Amino acid sequence: MTVMNLSINNNIVGPIEVDPEIMMIEFLHEYLNLTGTKFGCGGGICHACVILVEDEQGMLKTERTCIHNALVFNGKKVHTIEGHATKDKYGEIIALHPVQESFSKHFSFQCGWCTSGFMNETIALIQRLKKDPIKKTDVETTIEAALGEHICRCTGYVKYYQSAKDLILSIKGLTK
Amino acid sequence: MNKILSHTISLAFVSVSFTLSASQELIEKGKYLADAADCYACHTTDDGQQYGGGKAFPLPMGMKIYSTNISSDKTFGIGNYTLEDFTAALREGKSANNGYLYPAMPYGSYALITDDDIKALFAYFQTVPAVKQKKTDNDVYFPANVRTGILGWNMLFLDDKRYLPDSEKSENWNRGNYLVNSFGHCGECHTPRNLFMALEKDKPFQGAVIGSTWAPNITAENLLKAGWGSDDLASLLRHGYSDKGVVTGEMYTVVKHSLSKLSEQDMRAVTGYLLNSDEYIASKTPVYDEKVITHEGYPTYMSYCASCHGDKGQGKPNFAPKMLGNGTLMEPNQYNVVYSIIGGIDSQYYNQVNSFDAMPSYQDKLSDQQLLDLMNYLSASFTFDKKEFTAPEIKALRESVLESLETEH
Ligand code: FES
Ligand code: FES
Repeated sequence: MTVMNLSINNNIVGPIEVDPEIMMIEFLHEYLNLTGTKFGCGGGICHACVILVEDEQGMLKTERTCIHNALVFNGKKVHTIEGHATKDKYGEIIALHPVQESFSKHFSFQCGWCTSGFMNETIALIQRLKKDPIKKTDVETTIEAALGEHICRCTGYVKYYQSAKDLILSIKGLTK
Repeated sequence: MNKILSHTISLAFVSVSFTLSASQELIEKGKYLADAADCYACHTTDDGQQYGGGKAFPLPMGMKIYSTNISSDKTFGIGNYTLEDFTAALREGKSANNGYLYPAMPYGSYALITDDDIKALFAYFQTVPAVKQKKTDNDVYFPANVRTGILGWNMLFLDDKRYLPDSEKSENWNRGNYLVNSFGHCGECHTPRNLFMALEKDKPFQGAVIGSTWAPNITAENLLKAGWGSDDLASLLRHGYSDKGVVTGEMYTVVKHSLSKLSEQDMRAVTGYLLNSDEYIASKTPVYDEKVITHEGYPTYMSYCASCHGDKGQGKPNFAPKMLGNGTLMEPNQYNVVYSIIGGIDSQYYNQVNSFDAMPSYQDKLSDQQLLDLMNYLSASFTFDKKEFTAPEIKALRESVLESLETEH
């Protein structure tokens, strides 16, 4: 057993004894009951299982949880799909994250298995663009590059990409 | 009279069908041997037609040569070749269409092929569908463009001799030797080369750099030391996967297009020759010792590797190779281990029931210290000899991997 400390959705988790053999996704599901992160291929291909890791500068990067054991995230600050909406003091959701709003508005997903992965990747992308805006003409290729590794078996990607595009064009400062 | 005529006709039929089936047999034998020689790998581009040529082979200093069209097309291919032309191309690298061939064509190995087998290959290549595709011009400059230079090279290094069986050895071993060294041309990658790019014949199979990978040492001595058994080797060469690890890089296409098609008997011959034994050799695996969990590399292994390769290095069949007893971990040159970790491995598709997902790169995840600890952990937990690496050794390997990744892209 290894003792872990980490921050998940701005809450400190730990010190907690964790079996060093388990994957991060199992840790989220089995230890913390955070089941919003989905297990797809289990082999690092589909990216359904990505969560966000925040670095010292507050920048977010996605990381797969099916090929990385929980130990990788020891001492890190991470965010999962459960942490994006704004909640009141009783834990009730009072507002969705803009990416959540946008995905729902565009009917981007159907079964939803891939959605938390797409969501996290889009959130990281938008944060990156806030820092380094891109030309309007580059929006589509930037989205394709960012979301290109995410697999969706239901909706054919179009609505995810369209939703990300509309959102990026509607938020001030992401394009120049 | 009628009766005589009908007899004659039926006799004629018998003889025609006999010739036909004899030549069909020859063609089939030729096809089998063409697969064993892996002609496809070099003479077919990824999206091109079979044997149409045009595959690029990078040379030093940005030069490139392109393989020839060896389909039966009479203008662009070898459809006009006589058996003599074909033999000269195979054994001496002399092409009736293109002059002296660059020694990227392994004619030094094919020179060992017997006359009968050349006839079979010739019969087969006369039947492969014609591809109307002109040879792409080589992109070479002085002195590499002076083809007569190749003649000099041939005079110095080409040993134009047929395979001579070793009477001290078994038939199986001799068949294996013949296949490995002629058709298989394994030495072309696994034997080091001298300054003139000729094989160092006194160091057969001792391993060599090939592109961005290390073609491992496949001497019997080294294979046995690492615990390779007859089944491991047969499985590796047939399926690209074994208890002792998997193939990657160029070797993937060799398995896919060539070795996987060897008959059971020939596979036994090849493994018998490579392990230098007529007896069945059992695989050997080191014993996993629970004590390794106190090793500095344990947390890194558990963090990044264990979910696929298993906490005790047991791997997952058809998904991620076993680490416990893995042959690559016991290869004297650890370049391929570092390459896999830093560069990742591309996905491989043999068929619907045998395919492997890619392994991601860990270049941006591991510090030099973590990589060193991990390498030492892999060695301490999963090998027989439990080598200890030093920081400069691993750093140098990482740098050379990064350099070759850069040239690849
Ligand atoms: S489940 Fe993790 S990448 Fe597919
Ligand atoms: S919505 Fe079903 S897999 Fe993407």
